[in-house]
Amino acid sequence: MLTIEAGEGGTVALRGRLDAAQAGSAQAALDKLQGSVTLDLAALEYISSAGLGVLLKTQKRLMATGGKVRLAGVGAHLRDIFVYSGFDQLFEIEAAK
Amino acid sequence: MATGRQRHLSAEDLEAILGVTSRLAAPFDLATMLAEVVNAAKQVLKADRGSVWLYDAPRDELVLEVATGLAAVRIHAGTGIVGACARTRAAINVPDCYADPRFDQGMDRATGYRTRCMLTLPLVDHRDALVGVMQVLNKAGGTFDRDDEDLAAALAAQCAVALQRARLTEALIESERMRQELEMAREVQMSTLPATMPVVPGYDVHGFSRPAEQTGGDTFDLIATPRGLAVVLGDATGHGIAPALSVTQMQAMLRMAFRLGADLPTAFRNVNDQLAATLPEDRFITAFIGLLDAQAHRVEFHSGGQGPILHLSVRGACVSHRPTSFPLGAMPLGKLRPAVTLDLEPGDVLLLLTDGVYEYQNAAGDCYGEARVQRIARSHGTRPMRELASRILADVEAFAGEAPQLDDVTMVLLARAPVVEARRFPRSFDALPDLVAFSDGFFERHGVDRSLLSNVDFAVEELFTNMVKYSAPGGKEVEVALARITGGVEVALTDHDVEPFDLTRAPDADVTLPIEQRRPGGLGIHLTRRLVEGLEYQYAAERREARITFRKTAPAAAAADGAGEA
Repeated sequence: MLTIEAGEGGTVALRGRLDAAQAGSAQAALDKLQGSVTLDLAALEYISSAGLGVLLKTQKRLMATGGKVRLAGVGAHLRDIFVYSGFDQLFEIEAAK
Repeated sequence: MATGRQRHLSAEDLEAILGVTSRLAAPFDLATMLAEVVNAAKQVLKADRGSVWLYDAPRDELVLEVATGLAAVRIHAGTGIVGACARTRAAINVPDCYADPRFDQGMDRATGYRTRCMLTLPLVDHRDALVGVMQVLNKAGGTFDRDDEDLAAALAAQCAVALQRARLTEALIESERMRQELEMAREVQMSTLPATMPVVPGYDVHGFSRPAEQTGGDTFDLIATPRGLAVVLGDATGHGIAPALSVTQMQAMLRMAFRLGADLPTAFRNVNDQLAATLPEDRFITAFIGLLDAQAHRVEFHSGGQGPILHLSVRGACVSHRPTSFPLGAMPLGKLRPAVTLDLEPGDVLLLLTDGVYEYQNAAGDCYGEARVQRIARSHGTRPMRELASRILADVEAFAGEAPQLDDVTMVLLARAPVVEARRFPRSFDALPDLVAFSDGFFERHGVDRSLLSNVDFAVEELFTNMVKYSAPGGKEVEVALARITGGVEVALTDHDVEPFDLTRAPDADVTLPIEQRRPGGLGIHLTRRLVEGLEYQYAAERREARITFRKTAPAAAAADGAGEA
């Protein structure tokens, strides 16, 4: 399961698993975001390549209008995936506190 | 009929309902079946208009196909009269629609039609599943009565089963189409893999790919180019035919670029930018693209999101390299970091594996991981790369147990041939000092960890003296070969023109016996087994040749002082 809701300080919090089964609904939710957005991933347990695709598409869409996606609350497991996939070079990433 | 009331079915009614029942048995596609059901309802109930809403269970919605080419109307399965009927699974007979607050007059206003009366029925199949809701409007010359309700209920049961059958048939056809597409995707994908492994003097290169049931996006390539051997490992996102086509496209562009003499950064940048322009927004390919210069013994690489890249050094460290860039096709490249250059010493191994290996999950949900790959590479890195690939695969399978393969598993393994020195020694105890000098010199010349030397000498002496003692006298010399491997040495002693005698199978000495019962024999092999690793005996009958091999390496923990991420 994946839930997407308003997080602390104007962030958008993703919790659960962002896999191929959840990618469609996640994309629909993130398609509503505008401007610059911080996604709080502290409670995101897992992300698959389909999930990375959702983040990428959102980043491209927001960058086209001068905004961007920041990723916050990134734990060690997700950090490895972002680093090994080179996504750390596409997103500003803030480690989990 | 369950109502208990008697209905006087006219001959006309009976003919109509039987006709409908026989027509509904025909193998129609879903759209035709829907039209048939609506026509049947209109005919049997003498209604002016009719419609069927299909129930979409996963979304809990009712769907009305309006006309071909137009988007279907979807409503939540609780809305209005149709929704109420779906929820209660009971017929709703509204004799005067404009007097019923649940009736939505909007549709009439939009179409100019005037709905007088309406009969709404649930379509429930023989397994008690809700298939949809049927609605008929405006009975000719009056309103729908109790007889019509009973007649409609009988008809609805027939329609529900027919519609459900059509839906299942369509789902089956769809899944068969998917299966065929996946099969085609797999064929496209496999056809891009090199048919034979390239021959590069001084190197052993092996690639392997095993696609998963449901995905298809891994590839590898090994291409002889003017700048050396191009080594490619890639993994495209997505399912079905799309990723297979993406990697095929990438591979074709890379082959072209390298054959035309492009250097690595140029090829990487152009292929990335071309893919960024053509791939869908949420698609990308993680890829390692490297060039091996087999004269300079150097690999130069860029990696778009493909990692970890493991370089197992003969000195013992295993360095895990990160990607140099984001995945190919994610967006056009701005600034590109310099390529990474790896110098390969004799005995070094480069392991490129897709996440189908690292992230292979067992039933408990644990991933196979990098540490296990390293462990296998350390113990079998001196074997031919084809064998190392099989060993990794076997280990992954042992780890996974019953868990299915969910992602493609692909590897490219590249090893520079190790330093090997061999010398023959006369079959005599007098040869022992020369033997010790030989191993000492080898350790010295090739920088092997000297703390291993005494154990190696012990084992060599033990095995050599056994060959001298137990082989037929007057035999030929014994060949001793030393190879420098990761973190140590591999030793092979070959005895020619002898009978088979597997020393390594000798029983362990009983070291718990009291001193008076202990015998000197057998202790040498007992200790050898404990002091070195991988002790193995092979006998080639046609050449009458016995060979004993073993390895001695520093413990991985001690050797890993240079390990870490680069």
